[in-house]
Amino acid sequence: MTFNQVVWKMAKADYKKYIFYFLCNSFAVMFFFMFSTVYFNSRIEQAKKLEGIQDALSIPGAALIIFTIFFISYAHNVFMKKRRSEFGLFLSLGMSPRDISKLLVIENGIIGMASILSGLLAGAVFSRLSFMLLMSSINLQDIPFHLSGKMFLYSIGAFLAVFLLAVGKSLIFTLRSSMILVMKSNRFAETIKMRSPLLGAFGLLLMVGSILTLYFTYEESSGAFLPLWTMAMFLGLYIAFSQASSFLIRLAKKFPGYYFHRLLFLSSLEYKFKQMTSIIMLVAVMIMITIFYSTLLLTFYKASEKDAVKNNPFDVAYYQIETKNNLSEAELNKILQTKDQLEIPIFYYLEKQILAGNGYHSYNFMSLRNFNELTKQEKSLENQEFLFFLNSEPEYAHTEFSETFRISMGNDEVTFEMKDYVVERRINLLPNSYEFVVVNDEVFDKMTNSLDGHVLTLNLLNVEDWKNSEGAVGELVKKFEAMNQAAPPANFSDLPYIEEELFRVASKVADFHLNKTTSGIMFYVTTFLSILFFMGTFILLYLNLFSEVDTEKAKYKNLYKIGMTSKEVKKNVTREIMTIFFVPTVIGTLLAFIYLVILSTDVGGIMNNPDILMHFLLIAGIYLAIQLGSYFYARKKMLIQLLG
Amino acid sequence: MVIMETENIVKVYGGASGEGSTKALDGVSLSVNEGEFVAIMGPSGSGKTTLLNVLSGIDQPSSGSVSISGQEISEMTGDALALFRRRQLGFVFQEFNLLDSLTAKENIILPMVLEKKSTAEMEEKVQGLGELFEIDSILDKYPYNISGGQQQRTAVSRALVNEPAIVFADEPTGNLDSKSSAVIMECFEKIVNELGTTVLLVTHDVFAASYCQKVVFIKDGQIHSSIVKKGSRKEFLNSIMDHLAVLGGRTHDI
Ligand SMILES: Nc1ncnc2c1ncn2[C@@H]1O[C@H](COP(=O)(O)OP(=O)(O)OP(=O)(O)O)[C@@H](O)[C@H]1O
Ligand SMILES: [Mg+2]
Repeated sequence: MTFNQVVWKMAKADYKKYIFYFLCNSFAVMFFFMFSTVYFNSRIEQAKKLEGIQDALSIPGAALIIFTIFFISYAHNVFMKKRRSEFGLFLSLGMSPRDISKLLVIENGIIGMASILSGLLAGAVFSRLSFMLLMSSINLQDIPFHLSGKMFLYSIGAFLAVFLLAVGKSLIFTLRSSMILVMKSNRFAETIKMRSPLLGAFGLLLMVGSILTLYFTYEESSGAFLPLWTMAMFLGLYIAFSQASSFLIRLAKKFPGYYFHRLLFLSSLEYKFKQMTSIIMLVAVMIMITIFYSTLLLTFYKASEKDAVKNNPFDVAYYQIETKNNLSEAELNKILQTKDQLEIPIFYYLEKQILAGNGYHSYNFMSLRNFNELTKQEKSLENQEFLFFLNSEPEYAHTEFSETFRISMGNDEVTFEMKDYVVERRINLLPNSYEFVVVNDEVFDKMTNSLDGHVLTLNLLNVEDWKNSEGAVGELVKKFEAMNQAAPPANFSDLPYIEEELFRVASKVADFHLNKTTSGIMFYVTTFLSILFFMGTFILLYLNLFSEVDTEKAKYKNLYKIGMTSKEVKKNVTREIMTIFFVPTVIGTLLAFIYLVILSTDVGGIMNNPDILMHFLLIAGIYLAIQLGSYFYARKKMLIQLLG
Repeated sequence: MVIMETENIVKVYGGASGEGSTKALDGVSLSVNEGEFVAIMGPSGSGKTTLLNVLSGIDQPSSGSVSISGQEISEMTGDALALFRRRQLGFVFQEFNLLDSLTAKENIILPMVLEKKSTAEMEEKVQGLGELFEIDSILDKYPYNISGGQQQRTAVSRALVNEPAIVFADEPTGNLDSKSSAVIMECFEKIVNELGTTVLLVTHDVFAASYCQKVVFIKDGQIHSSIVKKGSRKEFLNSIMDHLAVLGGRTHDI
């Protein structure tokens, strides 16, 4: 038997650790690949540019990458820990560190390659599957699944970078280290880590302080400091968390009656938590991001109809002039089933002289009659009075405007006094439709006659059934486009809009579909990432539990010998696994909730947004249910390992 | 009074008499009296550990019966057996005796914790045992930070904590130097003499065996012979060595 055969035989006898290592790496590749099938999907890339999905993708994307880096190096360390004690034996039998490095390279090379292959394959299959599933469940047919070279390139590249780094580190360690160091048993040593209740209290304070600061300043600063305080919060959480187990256990020791009866559980928890602080933190943060994002995007998705209705008081709206968007009533009625229609001339005027030094001031004038018709009010105005009309939801409107304005008409300078102002959303989101100055009909006529401006006729229409008006509106848009192209340019050089923008049609149905698609894509991506995150966290927890299963087995075997019953073993194991599975879940869920509360301050508080609360409960509930399932699975597996 | 009695124990490893099966015990009958201090000796592979495991209920015999304090333990199973073990029996092994994540004191009280004894009772017991075995100064240390001899004394304390009828020990001095061995054996002597506990230990070490009152020799899974201490420890040691020579096992070169 040659030495190589011995090595091979040992590897075969302990094949499980290779399988495990291989599976972890395959998962890492799969994560990267599945994410890139979404990230580099051509339809989503397009949407990223147009609809600001970038943020929605990049934050969880970054989290996923950090997570995967951690995941790979963790799996590698677990593998190496087991491998290292064998290397010690090889060294003592006369193998040189060089030979061992060679062995390491070969092993890791094979596993790395195999992981890439299987990871890509599994990634493609799962990605395709989840595309199909999610697309049909949120009714989005327009995101085709496809594969591209970029996806392969980036996911292989990202994986290799992290993987090689981890292997390289181990190689250097192996080449450098002495035999003693390699052989040193990995027996538990009571390493008295930095234990300081003061530090823990500081962490707690930092965390609570950050959260409170965020809560009270979020609305005012409109979230500008969100990343900063979030980092501070995580830092505080980490510090507090790393001290918490020691602190709680020291506290428990003050009550021997309590402590002694949970001796085994508490002591092994202290030991495990010390090793797992970063993992539990990471899992908690992942759970937080998952629940937080899913809730938010589910809310957006569900709000797409509401938003479309809110932003479009009329089913269809557009500006019209002589040569643009001008259809006869008969033609219009042929396309749309119009229920009612308003035509409101808006007089756009750019005042050049009066505001000396300040350059220009532009006005959108509307006549009082039209205003009353539009807003269903009965206001009246004297000749030198005006009414300021902001077409906006009151909560988003700015309220600073001057009480008077002067304008020169002919040879006169006329000063207008503000009589009143009205902030209401009455007109669809069109360009040039935010601020209006309402004057009485006589003044309005005079202005249009004597001032050099443009009259744009605002057409506001309601149709019979807006949800089914997509085809008709599309036809209208096409017709307008054809007509506008044929007509000469409107030459509105003083209006800060390009023609296509100014004469676009703002319709409820198009907005609705756009919202639905955008938030649908985002929701889809988030759900997709959530699934990845969930798998990742589960594997991480599972890996952690089972990487030391041999030690645990020996421990419980001894405990069995001195008379621990299997019932007591079960109880103990259950407590441990439960803690490891649910401490991060509870922390993560709580943090997600806190962040939702903070974000809601911007829209009137969580209590005024029951749908956010509902969606949170729904998503947290689903997460908890899945976590519960995986906990039972892990527990069962563990008990079989330990007792069976 | 007989505290433990076995009849015709047979233990076969690896399936019933098929190929590759080992008959580790081949009809062992043994009886131990209350307060006796018995050593089991024999060559490596003769079945000592197997015997101890069967006697203490850690392993089931293939046939035959074991009874301790009048209870038939070869008929008990699962948790009943575990409960019996922790109430009636104490264990000291060669290694892996203590849990690394617990202090010496916590290791000692572990069986009491399982029994849900009161805190006061536990403290009292630890105090007493700590003084008896002179380990009170290291009670709050973790196993990693105390010597092998101290670890074994801690293990002996743990074995005694529930006031067992019998203490079983498998090579308790196997990892120790002769001085530490002597200390441990004196501990066993103490518990036999002062507490009246029955002790059954398996050992290779003639020196350790010479502390006992009786030595049972086994070979190839069967009881070969036994000798009882009559004179001084030194004389007993010599006669054990003579016996081992007859047995053909490994002896110490003293
Ligand atoms: N779990 C097992 N499965 C199969 N055979 C076993 C098992 N344990 C022990 N044996 C065999 O049973 C026989 C007795 O083993 P045992 O461990 O009782 O010997 P021992 O007297 O304690 O030896 P040592 O002095 O070396 O510890 C040996 O032949 C051994 O190979
Ligand atoms: Mg043995």
